[in-house]
Amino acid sequence: MRGVLRGLVSTATRTTVVDLEAGLEHLSRGTARHVDTLLLIAEPYFKSLEAAQRSFVLAQDLGIGRISMVANKIRTPRDEQTVREFASRHAAQIAGVIPYDPAVVEADERGTAVIDQRPDATSVAAIRRLADELLSTAS
Amino acid sequence: MKIAVGGKGGSGKTTVAGTLARVLAERGHRVVAMDDDSNPNLAMTLGVPPGEASSLPSIPRDWLEERPDDAGGTRLELKVPAEEFIDRFGVSAGPNLTLLVMGQPNHGGSG
Repeated sequence: MRGVLRGLVSTATRTTVVDLEAGLEHLSRGTARHVDTLLLIAEPYFKSLEAAQRSFVLAQDLGIGRISMVANKIRTPRDEQTVREFASRHAAQIAGVIPYDPAVVEADERGTAVIDQRPDATSVAAIRRLADELLSTAS
Repeated sequence: MKIAVGGKGGSGKTTVAGTLARVLAERGHRVVAMDDDSNPNLAMTLGVPPGEASSLPSIPRDWLEERPDDAGGTRLELKVPAEEFIDRFGVSAGPNLTLLVMGQPNHGGSG
C-alpha cells in the first residue's frame, strides 16, 4: 500500500514536502526518486555528515535535479564552518543553516509544532530563509 | 516543487519538513505534506493535534486497480487522480495544507 501512496509524489500537482524514512538504505527504492529537490539534514558532527554524504552520492544516481545539505542544530560559528567545509570538500550545496534551538526541544516535549509554540524562534526564522532560498531557485 | 527531506534519525529532519511545509502554505502555496517515515510523527511538527492523523482509513477497493509492472507481474495503482485522493484521505493541517501519512501499518486495500 505504501508503494501506491508513493506514486502520489509524482502525480500530485500541488507543492509536495515528503518526510522520508530515516536512514539512507531506503533512498533508492523509495520516494526520493519522484522528487525534484532533496534536502539532506546534517548535524555538525562526523557521523551525521558522513551519512549525508553517502545519501548525496546515492541520490545523484537517481537523477534528482537538486540535492542540497541543510545544516541543523548549529551552536557555534565553528559548527557552521565544519558543515561548510565538509560540503565544499564534497561539492555539495548548502541550502540552509538552522541553529540549535531550545524552542524545538520544548515544542517536542509538549507535542506541539515549534512554529505554533514559538513563531519567532530562531530555527523557524532559519526555515523561512530556507523556503526563500528554495523558492528563489525553483525551476 | 516536490521536496523530500532526509537524514539520520534524530537529525531534526521531521521538524524541518513540517515547518517548511507550514511556511510554504503560509506563503500561499497549496501544499501536501507526506509522511513516509515508518515511525510517522510529521503531524506534530505541522501542528495537527495528536490522534487526528493517527489512523488513515483504508482505501476503498474500487479506488485501486492492478496494472502490469516492469517485472512481468502486477502492482496496485490508484484509479483516481492524485489530487482527488489527497482531498479525500488527507488530514487538514490548516489553510492550504494537507497531511498524508504513508507509513501506516495495517493499511490494507480491502476496506
